[in-house]
Amino acid sequence: MKKLSRKVFVGLILLILINGNVWGQGKIDPSKPIKIALSAPFTGLGSILGDYIKQGALLAIDEINAAGGVAGAKFDLVVYDDQANASTAATVVRRALFDDRAVAIFGPNMSAAVIGVHTLAQQAKKPMLVGATSPSFRFDKVKNDYLFRLRADDGIKVAQQVKYIAEVLKAKKPGVIVGSTDYCTSALDVAKEAFAKYGIKIVDIENMKEGDKDVTAQLTKLKNAGIDCLVGLTHEPEAAVVMKQYRQMKLSAPVVGFSAWGVPAFTDLAGDAAVGVISVQGFNPADTDPPVKAFVDAYKAKWGREPSDPAQCYYDGVYLLKKAIETAGSTDSVKITEALATIEYTGVQGRMKMDALHNYTDICYISQFDGKIWKIITKIQ
Amino acid sequence: MLFNDLLQNIIGGVTVGSTYGLIGLGVVFLWQSINRINFANISSAMLAAYLFYTFYTQLHFGFFPSFICSILIIAIYGMLLRYLVYEPITRHGGDKLEFVVATLMLCILWLSVINATFGGLPKPFPPVFGEATSFVQLGPISIPSVYFWIFLVVLLLILGLYFLLRKTFIGKMLRATAQNKEAAALMGINVNLTTSIAFMMATTIVGIAGILLAPIYFVSLELGGGSIGVKGFASAVMGGLIDPFGAILGGITIGLIENFSTLFISSAYKDIISFMILVAVLLWKPRGIFNWTTKGD
Repeated sequence: MKKLSRKVFVGLILLILINGNVWGQGKIDPSKPIKIALSAPFTGLGSILGDYIKQGALLAIDEINAAGGVAGAKFDLVVYDDQANASTAATVVRRALFDDRAVAIFGPNMSAAVIGVHTLAQQAKKPMLVGATSPSFRFDKVKNDYLFRLRADDGIKVAQQVKYIAEVLKAKKPGVIVGSTDYCTSALDVAKEAFAKYGIKIVDIENMKEGDKDVTAQLTKLKNAGIDCLVGLTHEPEAAVVMKQYRQMKLSAPVVGFSAWGVPAFTDLAGDAAVGVISVQGFNPADTDPPVKAFVDAYKAKWGREPSDPAQCYYDGVYLLKKAIETAGSTDSVKITEALATIEYTGVQGRMKMDALHNYTDICYISQFDGKIWKIITKIQ
Repeated sequence: MLFNDLLQNIIGGVTVGSTYGLIGLGVVFLWQSINRINFANISSAMLAAYLFYTFYTQLHFGFFPSFICSILIIAIYGMLLRYLVYEPITRHGGDKLEFVVATLMLCILWLSVINATFGGLPKPFPPVFGEATSFVQLGPISIPSVYFWIFLVVLLLILGLYFLLRKTFIGKMLRATAQNKEAAALMGINVNLTTSIAFMMATTIVGIAGILLAPIYFVSLELGGGSIGVKGFASAVMGGLIDPFGAILGGITIGLIENFSTLFISSAYKDIISFMILVAVLLWKPRGIFNWTTKGD
């Protein structure tokens, strides 16, 4: 019995040592870098976003490291390509959290990938900070204490889009053109609800499939329904197809698009057909607010081009994590997660504080494309 | 519904339908020549569009040099397709089915290569056929200038192909080789040369189509598969896989069905209606409704 007790005791000590739960573990050690991971798409459909995400995060990391790091310890970033694909994301996130032992992970940025992998953060008890915007993984739906959103979610953006159409444009007969993915259809659900609150009936809803290149019939029906505003709820290439044919058919009702209509991926494809389009955006580099301007200038100086959404949210996210580690006084992921829930930080996206849905910000812009830049009509915080 | 609306929709349907027909032309050509269905047919369109984009936008070659370089590479690709895919399969006893499976894999391979090289995001095609808002006004109807280029090239390709296949010695060689290789060889036809010409012409036709379609489809992975590939095959089948005119008419019919089912029924059911009609047509006329060549066989 005595022998067995000794064996059990030695075994317990070994187990504790192997798990690394020795005294002092988690304390910030200036001689050891703090490993953080990033999962973003660098190939596949969302590849253009991957570069903005990485550059936004790296800019913040370089600034923090150059200024002495986090209590003396420097950030060390491990980057993975998740191809905006749920199964690839599962592989790389697992590797980052369990093999690399990163204290926190940024991304994935695609909602479908987040929905597929957020439970891994829960299992690893490590914070996952994402720029994905689907309302379908709000805290009230997924109940994941370790999942945090760094950008305004799509539900908020659509509500603001509708508010602008109803209150500023004073449209009475809006018509909708909508794509077939979850991004588009969940936006339509929110739009229907929001218009109903204003007592406005959507006079016609036309569908298009991703990849469609002719929407003459849909636009003919919208025109014949007498719309006084076109609400665009599609992805970027489809938005470009709609606008080219909208101009071709010489339709004149104002066009107010969802977030995919407010990015260079749309304006590049649509060319001059995009002029005059109004869109709800998560970020606008033309904003002259000092923190935004400082970020845009630093980004341009480092990467030689203008930042685009969602670069700003990963930049803010790294600073947010720094503050959480300092507040926790530890690199222990559970303590960082607890700190993330309480801290407040003011960055490029204004004041950031976690709400009941685990969203840090509701910021969005309503802007109009003038052929070169998106002119801000209103900034909503 | 105004008459102008109908006309505008007919123009839209005919243009997009012609693009399906163009892709179908490549299928028809290879079938007519070597009796094989190339499932990587659509890849030539994507490769040509990306090549043109690279030469024109990144290497600043200018329109004609970019066009010629892209088409030359695509023609050489056709030759490689023969020697690296078709010949080894035939030599090892493979037949039509093996060729179909191999080219299906090749189609996916090219999509992956382009995805890894250029990324998945569509790129804007340079406005060589006119700006996005450059339209030609015909009374109350406005037509994008790129549509005119499509119509013109479709017409030229069809006439050229018809003339080549029906009126020239090369055309006779191609058709004779397709019908019976051994007999053609015994009659003194250079089967080796004929097969190479068939492969090169099939990829070239679809390559030209790819460059022409890029302003509508953008320089994107969609040009290498997806709905345009399927509808290209459907157009070819509606022409009985024989008739170049039949393939184009098949494509236009599909384009019009899509537009009118949206206009008169619902955009939500556009693809369901279009494909139901296509399946019904094929059940009724498996040799194609626009096939005048084998009618009555």
